[in-house]
This record gives sequence, C-alpha cells and structure tokens, in this order.
Amino acid sequence: MSAMLLHKEKWSEFTGKLSGKNLWAPAVQGEMKKFARVAEGQTVHLDEDNTTVPPKALVFPQTETLCRFSLGQTDLELPGLDEEMVLLGVRPCDARAMALVEKLFRWDFEDPYYLERRERTTLIGLACNEPDLNCFCSSVGGGPASPEGLDILMSDLGESYLLEDITEKGKALVEEFKDLLEEAPADAVKQKEQLVEDAVAKIKWNVDPEGIPEALPQLWEDPLWEKVSAACLGCGICTYLCPTCHCFDIQDEVEGPAGRRCRMWDSCMFAEYTKHTSGHNPRPTRRERTRNRINHKYSYFVDKFGVIACVGCGRCSNLCPVNIDLIDILRQVKAAR
Amino acid sequence: MDLDKLRKTAAEIVSRDDVKYLLGWRRGTFGYRVAPYFIEDAAGVDELIFSPLCISNLATYLTLVEKLPVPRGQEPDQRKVALLVKGCDSRAVAQLLVEKGIKREEVVVIGLPCPGMVDRELLAEKYPETEAAAEVKWDGEDFLLVGEGGETAIPRTEVLAEKCRLCRHPNPVISDLTIGEPVEPWATADDSGVAEIEAKETAERWAYWEEQFSKCIRCYSCRNACPLCYCEDCILDRLDPTWVNRAVNFSENTAFHLARAFHLAGRCIECGECERVCPAGIPLGKLNRKLARTVREEYGFEPGLDPEAEPFQAGYKPDDPEEFIL
Amino acid sequence: MSEQFEPNIVAFLCNWCSYAGADLAGTSRIQYPANIKIIRVMCSGRVNPLYVVNALQQGADGVLVSGCHPGDCHYMEGNFYARRRLKLLKELLEFTGVDPRRFNMSWVSASEGHKWKEVVEKAVEDARAAGPFDQFRRRQIGW
Repeated sequence: MSAMLLHKEKWSEFTGKLSGKNLWAPAVQGEMKKFARVAEGQTVHLDEDNTTVPPKALVFPQTETLCRFSLGQTDLELPGLDEEMVLLGVRPCDARAMALVEKLFRWDFEDPYYLERRERTTLIGLACNEPDLNCFCSSVGGGPASPEGLDILMSDLGESYLLEDITEKGKALVEEFKDLLEEAPADAVKQKEQLVEDAVAKIKWNVDPEGIPEALPQLWEDPLWEKVSAACLGCGICTYLCPTCHCFDIQDEVEGPAGRRCRMWDSCMFAEYTKHTSGHNPRPTRRERTRNRINHKYSYFVDKFGVIACVGCGRCSNLCPVNIDLIDILRQVKAAR
Repeated sequence: MDLDKLRKTAAEIVSRDDVKYLLGWRRGTFGYRVAPYFIEDAAGVDELIFSPLCISNLATYLTLVEKLPVPRGQEPDQRKVALLVKGCDSRAVAQLLVEKGIKREEVVVIGLPCPGMVDRELLAEKYPETEAAAEVKWDGEDFLLVGEGGETAIPRTEVLAEKCRLCRHPNPVISDLTIGEPVEPWATADDSGVAEIEAKETAERWAYWEEQFSKCIRCYSCRNACPLCYCEDCILDRLDPTWVNRAVNFSENTAFHLARAFHLAGRCIECGECERVCPAGIPLGKLNRKLARTVREEYGFEPGLDPEAEPFQAGYKPDDPEEFIL
Repeated sequence: MSEQFEPNIVAFLCNWCSYAGADLAGTSRIQYPANIKIIRVMCSGRVNPLYVVNALQQGADGVLVSGCHPGDCHYMEGNFYARRRLKLLKELLEFTGVDPRRFNMSWVSASEGHKWKEVVEKAVEDARAAGPFDQFRRRQIGW
C-alpha cells in the first residue's frame, strides 16, 4: 500500500482525466442524491452527505436483464458485458457493503452477473470526516475510513486528498495518475488517522451489537416485534436503500413474440414477499417481516458468513417515514435479552 | 394545545372495554422525528403528544393493520380502534366510511383542530437535527422550536408544510369528540403547483414528469402511506395479468404513477402523505391535486366531507361534462 | 414528399353500439382509414383506464374508446361511468405531458356507420398530427 497526495488545485484535472473511464460520482437530483455518470471532462464536486441511493444500484441494478428470448428461436440471447466503470466518492460503509454482499453472491452458487460487474468496477472511496446523524459504522465492524471493498481510499486533509491504494486495481490506477500525485509525507497519514479518530468520536447515536446475534434466536416470539413493527407502513424504503439488502425476484416480461427474463430488487417488507402460490404467506404480518429484516442482518448472515450484514450507514433510520429506527430496535433487542 | 386534557381523554377512552387501542403520536427516537403510537393501556398516554410535527395521517393504520383469519373456536376481536385526527385525517376517515372500507362503529374518532403542521425536512434544512430529541410548539401564528439550544421562534411561512398552505379544512369534519377550539381556516395559497405545470407546453410537461418518474425506485411508500390505497389485492402486485411490470424504468414507472393518481381521482383528501414519504421527492401531490381540482370545479364534488356521499367514480350525473367526446 | 406517418390506433368499442356501428360501416362499404385496431369489449364502462396506458406502453400511437350514446347503454349506465373516468384520464394524460390528441372518446350508435367513419378519420388525423408515440413505450428501454 502506498500513500500519495493529490493537491486540491489538481482535483479538476484529476477528475477530468478520470471521467474518460466511465466515471460515476454522487449527483443531486431534486431531493434525491445518487450516483450518476460524469460527462467527459467534467469536474466532480464531493461533499459531506452520503447518497440516498447506495452505489449498490450500479453493481446490482434494480432491474437487470438476465436473458432475452423470442418465439421460434431456441437459443437464449445473453446480455453483453457492461463497460468497465469507476465509482468516485464511495463511502467506506457502502464499499464494505459490497464486500459483504459479494460473500453471498460467491456462496453456494457463483452469480456471474453480479461478480462480473463487480470485477469490472473500480471503487475510489472517500473517508468520512463528518459522520451523519444516523451513522454508526464504527459499531458494526467498519469505520469512517474502512478500506474493505475499496480499491483506493481517499481522505480529505483540507488542502489535499490522501490517496491510499488498497488493491492491485487501485495500485494500477494510482500509477496511471502518477504525474498529478506526490509522495505523501508521514504526517499526512498521521493526520488522516487523527481525522478518523475525531470522526468516530462524533458518532453518538449508536449501539454495541455485542450479544445481539446470539440473542435474536431466543427472542423469536418476543412481544418486542409487535411493538417495533406496529407503525411500519410495509414499504420498501429501508430495504431498497440499504446497501447490503440483496433480495431479488425473477420475472419474465413478454411483449408480442419476444421477451426477457429479468431480476429486480425485492423487499422482505412487502406483503407479497415469500407469498406462496396457494395464497399462504409464512410471514403474514409486518411483525414477521420486520423480524426477518433484523434477523437476516444480525443473525442469519452472521451464522453463514461470520459477520453482521449491516454497515451502519443509517439510511433505514433516517429515511423511514414513520421513525422505525434500527438503533432503537437493536437497543430494545439488547434490553429484552 | 391542551396536552393534559388530551392525555386525560385518551386515558379514559383507552380504558374502555370496547376499545382495543388508541392511535396517536409520540416523540420519535431522535431529532424532530415523531412516530405513530399505538396505546393499549392508560399508562401509555404519558408519551402521547400532539405537536406541529405530528404530520402523519393515522387513518392509514385503520386499513393497514392486518386482519388475520380467526382460529377455529375463537371469536373475532370486535373492539373499536380510537384514533386522533387532524382536519385532513378526518377526511380520510370520512372517505373510508363512504367506501365502506371501515364501519362507523369500528372507530372512535377524536378530532383535533389543526393550526398547521411543520415540514420536518424544511425545518431540518434550516435548523439541523441532532441526536437529542427536540420539540416544536405552536406559538400564536408561528412555531417555537424547543431544543438543546433553547427556544427559537420560527416564522410560520418558513417551515409550514405545503399541504397545510393549501389546506381548506383544518377542523375535523367528522369526530366523536373534539379537543381544543376550532381554528379559523386561513387564506390558502393558490400556487398548488398545478397551474404552473399546466402553463407549460406539452413537451415541457413531459420533460418535467419524465424526470420525476425516472427517479422513482418503486418502494411503494406512497401507496402504503396513503390512507385510501388499501386494496387487499393491489393491481400493482398482480402478476396475472401483469398490469404494470415490475421492472423499474420510466415506462413502467409512468404507468405506475398514472395508475396511482387515477385510482385516487375523486377520492384523494389531500393529506399529503404520499409526497411526504417519497424518498425521491417526487411531487405526487401535484398529480392528485390536479385531478382533485377537476373533480371539484367541473363536477362540484369534494371527497371526504360527507360520510353519506356517493363515491365519485361509482356514480354519475346524466349531465356530466362531455365536451371532450367526439 | 416523405412518406406519410401511419399511426397505430387501438380502439375499444362496446359490443352493442359502436362495434355494431363499425360493422355497419363495413357492410355499407364505407371507406375509413385502416389504422384502427379494434378490440371489442362488452361496454365502454368496462374499459379500465389502464388499458389506455397499457396500449400506449405497448406501441399504440393513439387510443379511441367508443360507446353508446348517453341513455342508450345496453347496461343502462355503463357509458356514464366511462365518461367520468375517461375524462379524468384524459386530463391526467394531458397534465403529465401526453399529447391530448392521442386519446379520443366517442359515442357511436349501431346505426351510425357514417359517424364511425368521421370519428376514425378524426382519431387518425389527431394521432398523425401528434406523431409517433415514444414517450413511455416499453420497447425503447433496453429490452
């Protein structure tokens, strides 16, 4: 791992050059912030707030064609590979989420769609100096400058950015921009570590997940689930905008003699999630669905992969229209233990 | 607002044998958040609040709460649900009665005249939220923010929710009892955002809506938060036939939003929940208000005012407008 | 001169009046444009507004709904309901930026073969003036 400095006066040159590589960066669209394609030559402006839609939407698109078919043709047509892309300004939590989700897509079946696209994506992260109100990454194994999942980690040191390459892919990219960079002095790395420490100290609304994965199976029938899910609207905000939620549904769409098979995000908060053909639903109410959401992240995923499938980005708590707050639920789980 | 009186009344009602629970609001877990609150016993009323942040429409839960099949040998729970309603919320109750979505004897409606609500997002933009819970109060015409940093007076126009600027019925239109004095309806803003769009050229209008609909992630929070979107088998979930494909793109999103707006034509009571909950900030209320205005101006009908009215789309008059017919 | 645009128009006709009217136009050998693709429904009141949206999604350039004259409905009042609903739909489409000429509604009775011809001509002319519909066609988005 090497540490390089990028002076901010060279920022527009840096992003301008980078924009030739199918660059995506956070952009505001009305009230919503999400990753958008950067036009060639354009400068990117990074700010404090994280995106509403996590960058998972680029690697694991909301709707993805798996294959196309048409009448009278026995062969399926497979979609071509997407262009390689570079994501700039990915938050460490969101990058870590991609690393976690990858475990699943590599598990008993290697999902070529996800893995190919992940392989062709370079993530340039931006460490958080100012955690948001709902951030709690440091409680769940991450941190404001967690390198997991990233290829390059950038930290804002005020006058300049510190660039640390993490993977071979990242190293190659740093090498390519060598002309704009300079060797980072030792105190730059120290300054970054201080910033991380300060950022962690600013996180107030959090919970220590210690003991939660073990407690959850015992609380299966606990009345707390009715309590925390009573106000739930059953919408998909918390799951669709969660960087680690990865449930999908597969549908065939046919029009005339041709059609496509595609997969799209699904949400365990929807009433028809896991609804059987018979009409029976093993999760008939919002109580079971909320329980599933928490258990999946804090218990099932831990059983299978040894890690909590929540990166503490705080989107679910922040965006829930009826204040169903993950931190609050976890605190109640701990209290009920 | 006399909170003590509200809590006392709520405690009395929730203690009744024929009441299952009372739907109210309580302070949320952080910042300016307020959460819907299900009170099952008199002890729970201590947390009950009614403040300018209690913007959510609780009538949604009348139809949202699942009614599971009753196990053999058990009697169904016949107890009533009590709920607090503002002016707009009460219209939702009235409209549900019109449609027979609920029965009058199933609910106890506690009316709260509403001087106007605060748009939390507008408020947080100007006075950032912190992890400490803060409170907002009515202060004459204006609002008073009570937080860690003491009290801050906020002019009404700065943070008043859009739906409240356009509100024509701040007092409950239906209730079993009312707490507080009726408020004087205020002069409503006439910029409902509809005329502004109508004034555009067709292509410009489409450019506007195409951008809006493209943002939609189809989380269906607008549908679920709506007190009047309560079909058990929503066409958007149907697969056979597939009315609207599950794929998320502007074609299906447009079909979805047209369907949603259309299904609320002559039914929408303009509580603004769809717009409030939308994580993408799509101005859904403009679609609803456009149709509501047509229904009001051309058919002389306003939904959610009279529980005995005939549902708009299930009725007709022989002399309905038909100038558009060839 | 470049070739004239020939729009595709989906027409939902009620079984009792408009379909019979179109049939009469046919048996009377009244010439009318062939751009119309007729779908027979039992009553104009049966036309779910989403049919119209769906037709536009699937490639129609215009949609026509036709039923019995008010008071003549085979089911007494189906066309009255249709009138209310489809007016709202037309307004909604217009508001969202779909050219209002793409959607027409008409009353054509079983004896009005000539009126049917006029209605079709008007609908075709309207859709032709509005041009090919591609605003929210399903096909154009990377199917």
